[in-house]
Amino acid sequence: MNALMIKGLLFAAVLIGATIAVVKSMNIDLSDPINLITMIGAVAIAVLTVGVSIKYINQMKTDKAEGELADENWDGIGEYKNELPAGWAYSFLGTLIWAVWYWFVGYPLNAFSQIGQYNEEVLAYNEKFEEVHKNATPEILKEMGESIFLVQCAPCHGETGDGLSGKAQDFTAGRESKEQVLDIIKNGSDQLKYPMGAMPGGMAQGADAEAIAEYVAGGMKGEQPASFGVCAGCHGADGKGNGGTAPNIVEYDQTLVEHVLENGRKGAIGIMPSFKGRLTPVQQKALATYLGSLK
Amino acid sequence: MQSNAALEYDYSVAKLFTYTAILFGILGMTIGTLIASQMAFPELNYLFGEYGTFSRLRPVHTTVVVYGFTLSGVWATFYYLGQRVLKVSMAESKFLMFIGKLHFWLYFVGALVATISLLMGITQAKEYAQYEWPIDIVIVIIWVLWGISIFGIIGIRREKSLYISLWYYIACFLGVAMLYLFNNMAVPTYFVSGMGSILHSVSMYSGTNDALVQWWWGHNAVAFVFTVPIVAMIYYFLPKESGQAIYSYKLSLLSFWGLMFVYLWAGSHHLLYSTVPDWMQTMGSIFSVVLILPSWGSAINMLLTMKGEWNQLTENPLIKFMVLASTFYMLSTLEGPIQAIKSVNAIAHFTDWIPGHVHDGVLGWVVFMVMAGLFHMAPRMFKREIYSKKLLEAQFWLQTTAVVLYFTSMWIAGITQGMMWRAVDEYGNLMYSFIDTVAVLHPYYAIRALSGVLYLVGFLMFAYNMIKTMSSSRELTEEPQFRSPMA
Amino acid sequence: MFHWLEKNPFFFAVGVFIVIAFAGLIEILPNFAEASRPVVGLKPRTVLELAGKNIYMKDQCIACHSQLIRPFKSETDRYGQVSLSGEYAYDRPFLWGSKRTGPDLHRVGNYRTTDWHENHMWDPTSVVPQSIMPAYKHMFTNIADIETAYAEAVTVKKVFNTPYDQPNGTKLGTWEEAQKAALEEAKKITADMKNKDVKDAVANGQIPEIVAMIAYLNALK
Ligand code: HEC
Ligand code: HEC
Ligand code: HEC
Ligand code: HEM
Ligand code: HEM
Ligand SMILES: [Ca+2]
Ligand SMILES: [Ca+2]
Ligand SMILES: [Cu+2]
Repeated sequence: MNALMIKGLLFAAVLIGATIAVVKSMNIDLSDPINLITMIGAVAIAVLTVGVSIKYINQMKTDKAEGELADENWDGIGEYKNELPAGWAYSFLGTLIWAVWYWFVGYPLNAFSQIGQYNEEVLAYNEKFEEVHKNATPEILKEMGESIFLVQCAPCHGETGDGLSGKAQDFTAGRESKEQVLDIIKNGSDQLKYPMGAMPGGMAQGADAEAIAEYVAGGMKGEQPASFGVCAGCHGADGKGNGGTAPNIVEYDQTLVEHVLENGRKGAIGIMPSFKGRLTPVQQKALATYLGSLK
Repeated sequence: MQSNAALEYDYSVAKLFTYTAILFGILGMTIGTLIASQMAFPELNYLFGEYGTFSRLRPVHTTVVVYGFTLSGVWATFYYLGQRVLKVSMAESKFLMFIGKLHFWLYFVGALVATISLLMGITQAKEYAQYEWPIDIVIVIIWVLWGISIFGIIGIRREKSLYISLWYYIACFLGVAMLYLFNNMAVPTYFVSGMGSILHSVSMYSGTNDALVQWWWGHNAVAFVFTVPIVAMIYYFLPKESGQAIYSYKLSLLSFWGLMFVYLWAGSHHLLYSTVPDWMQTMGSIFSVVLILPSWGSAINMLLTMKGEWNQLTENPLIKFMVLASTFYMLSTLEGPIQAIKSVNAIAHFTDWIPGHVHDGVLGWVVFMVMAGLFHMAPRMFKREIYSKKLLEAQFWLQTTAVVLYFTSMWIAGITQGMMWRAVDEYGNLMYSFIDTVAVLHPYYAIRALSGVLYLVGFLMFAYNMIKTMSSSRELTEEPQFRSPMA
Repeated sequence: MFHWLEKNPFFFAVGVFIVIAFAGLIEILPNFAEASRPVVGLKPRTVLELAGKNIYMKDQCIACHSQLIRPFKSETDRYGQVSLSGEYAYDRPFLWGSKRTGPDLHRVGNYRTTDWHENHMWDPTSVVPQSIMPAYKHMFTNIADIETAYAEAVTVKKVFNTPYDQPNGTKLGTWEEAQKAALEEAKKITADMKNKDVKDAVANGQIPEIVAMIAYLNALK
């Protein structure tokens, strides 16, 4: 091997090494077959290109041009009648044979279905998932919830769950804000599909409404205003939703999160989209656990 | 038969296209550098109001470099070497001179209008076919004019058999003609409804069909604009500049017909895992792998043509450009097929690895070849030696560094991003939000922007060297036979 | 034979043409009828949504966004159900894109909302701090070209039999009807928006681009 070849392969090695280092630094599993095949492909590109082109460039140093010239000559350019380079010819033949094999034997054209492959992938995953999370602890649920939250919810609620200064629900400041509660008292609500059905608007006015809102937004601490009685009928004296018949208005519990994810919600802040069918029950539970931990 | 020296070739059309190659090269690469910088530093989106966003500029970049720079290069070289390998001067036919000039002026005006139309957002939104229907019609006329030029000059040729370069120019002409027509078929809405914008049209095909036709074209735009006519160039300029005979006729032959046959099948590698039928995807994938050899055939033929000529490689920067171009051509025609393997494409598709692949092809192969060709032509067209060898050498190293930075950064960025998109945590949930996979790319986008600046500076050195060569370099009394003289 | 071809340019050109046209005949044409069949229940886009699509094309969102969810679990988890051929049957042109600098948008209507888009298109970093997407403030002042969108709908209805004005389908109607319908649709969207200028414009019968854009994004499901 000469210096040029060594330099070339060194370059290829550095490139591959850097790629693997960066990929690894993102916690990526290189034993995943797709990732693995891609890395092998990348190695092949670098090594083959460098190797083969340097092989020919080396011939510029060592070989001499020779052969029988053709009769024609175009603007001073001649042409030898040399045979095909053997490596090239056999590789060409090889790829052709491989192609025919692929079509008729390996992966016959009519026998592969990408949707079939997808279904298998999902099935295998779901089995594994059930297996692993049969009895997940709250800590695990919280961690899992956080990871789902960062991917699915953070674009609106922010990475910390603070609602991006009023663009969505702020989970770090307890349940509903005073404005939200006032809005609901005024307009009522009929979106979440609780057993209790709709909440009518206008059940409290003026100073009463203010007092209730203050109290609810404050997490229902301290002295309960007398006017809260009207709310307690549905939400319970403790505000926890009467065993799931109306929303919990003091904290994010699992029932609430499930209802919100199923139906979405439009309120004083804006619109929360429905995630119907996009998250599994375990994932919803995990989200509820995580949201509960944010305040 | 007349001897070469007795013939006065007419380079007026070749010169005109040389000027536009330089002009559109600068424009296209300046915009390329700008959009590369915008991906690293998004504030740069607001330099020119709504016309300065990344999204408006990206198609301007791609079309200016493809239809402005590359086609100018293709035509400059064709109008130069077509005459020479056929041993007939354009000046011998008033008709051909007229067609050639018309070809140029229609093209130049058309290209300017087309570029402005994209900036204004008038577009069909199909990649490499963005121009709206009135411009498409002008493009068809321009193309037909080129066809008349090709077959016109072949009609009056003195050299009976067509040189390899001409095979490739003819293929370029035919391939683009067929595919461009098919892909741009559209119905202008004004003529059916009698209202709305007269420029707007709807594609003749919908959904999956549209995708198939688009990438049948899109892939072969690569084949017939970035590959076929560039191979035409290297088959002429490398042996001519070095004085060496082509290594093997058989290899030229098999590579040519192999390339023609195989390339067209491969388009569906842009649609892997899409909604086109599985069997078509498989065809695209397999033919892409087969395509390695016809592609490498030409490159190897060129490298072997230089057998024993190491001293030329070290002494003549133009040879350096061309040998490196061959090597980059090998790189991208191995990288492409490997990206076309389904499992690899599952990661590579939609990521920066694709622009990485694109630019080791276009920067390392297309631009290098066009520049080398124009440098070779300059002393012969303008009868002056190349202005500065030192500048040429510096340019070579600067741009080589730039290409390496470009493709290594995008290679790492693309593979990382592709793998992050599919990464799951221990619970099987997606590990990264989309924005995580964007944020991690910042350093690579910054490196790519830097490489753009370096490459652009290199191109400006080329432009300067060319302009000096045209205007003030030492005059030559005699046309150089092989090696281009340079100061 | 090849040597002979090289001396006979006409036959050479014919030969090249046959060799390159061959693949298209076999690979492209046979699937045409099959792939244009719509999925059950697919409705053509309303005029306002078409106007939004045209803005999506004009501002080339396709430069960064795909609209194709591939059959991998990682993609369906992120973006929703796998894309089906029949869902694109009325898309002219197809807008799958070839680069995901930003996320896929094929089903973005399922998980983003009007008010979010309003914030995001005005200033992406206000909702996604590290975003590199440009802000599209000009869409809040430019007026959408509803007339051309209507012309497009009429054209595809006439030329390609796109099923407008069918029972339970998308109504197109006359130009006057279509204008009124587009404005109604726009009003529903601005009800969820905050930007005062946009609300005023729609109240005065003009539809800024952003409203059409959001109509289109919400319809991507
Ligand atoms: C008739 C039963 C009923 C009464 C009385 C009632 N609520 Fe409700 N409340 C509901 C129901 C049912 C919902 C869920 C509405 C929906 O589906 O959107 C709800 C929703 C809410 C919410 C929104 C929770 C969320 O996450 O969306 C708040 C806050 C609230 N109520 C506060 C109050 C206050 C304060 C009062 C007293 C003034 C009150 N409610 C009285 C039934 C009631
Ligand atoms: C497109 C933006 C968006 C996304 C994505 C989003 N949200 Fe929301 N969310 C909102 C907005 C806006 C509100 C406030 C609605 C209101 O005005 O009451 C909200 C409110 C909520 C509430 C409180 C609802 C109530 O009734 O009090 C919960 C719980 C919630 N989101 C959970 C989630 C979870 C979990 C996810 C992810 C799986 C998520 N959100 C994704 C925009 C979003
Ligand atoms: C320079 C690239 C770029 C361009 C051009 C661009 N976007 Fe984006 N887009 C992004 C990135 C990056 C994100 C992810 C970060 C974010 O949400 O801002 C994104 C996110 C989005 C989202 C949110 C999708 C989701 O799932 O969170 C929507 C909707 C969107 N873009 C619409 C558009 C529209 C409409 C246009 C054209 C008018 C456009 N984008 C142009 C880069 C771009
Ligand atoms: C053997 C030859 C080649 C094969 C098989 C090949 C294959 C591919 C593949 C698989 C993609 C990616 C498609 C995707 O997933 O999005 C691609 C993209 C691309 N390639 Fe190649 N490639 C080849 C040679 C070249 C060369 C020589 C060039 C340029 C000089 C080139 C330019 C491009 C361009 C411009 C794109 C981007 C298309 C887009 O806009 O998405 N390719 N190629
Ligand atoms: C200074 C040199 C250049 C720089 C910095 C540059 C930069 C860029 C950037 C940033 C993109 C967008 C990539 C993305 O969306 O992720 C791009 C796309 C593209 N460029 Fe360049 N470019 C340069 C020169 C060229 C030249 C000379 C050509 C052709 C001759 C070219 C052809 C293309 C093509 C075909 C695409 C589209 C690729 C795709 O869709 O996948 N570029 N370029
Ligand atoms: Ca067009
Ligand atoms: Ca592309
Ligand atoms: Cu391709």
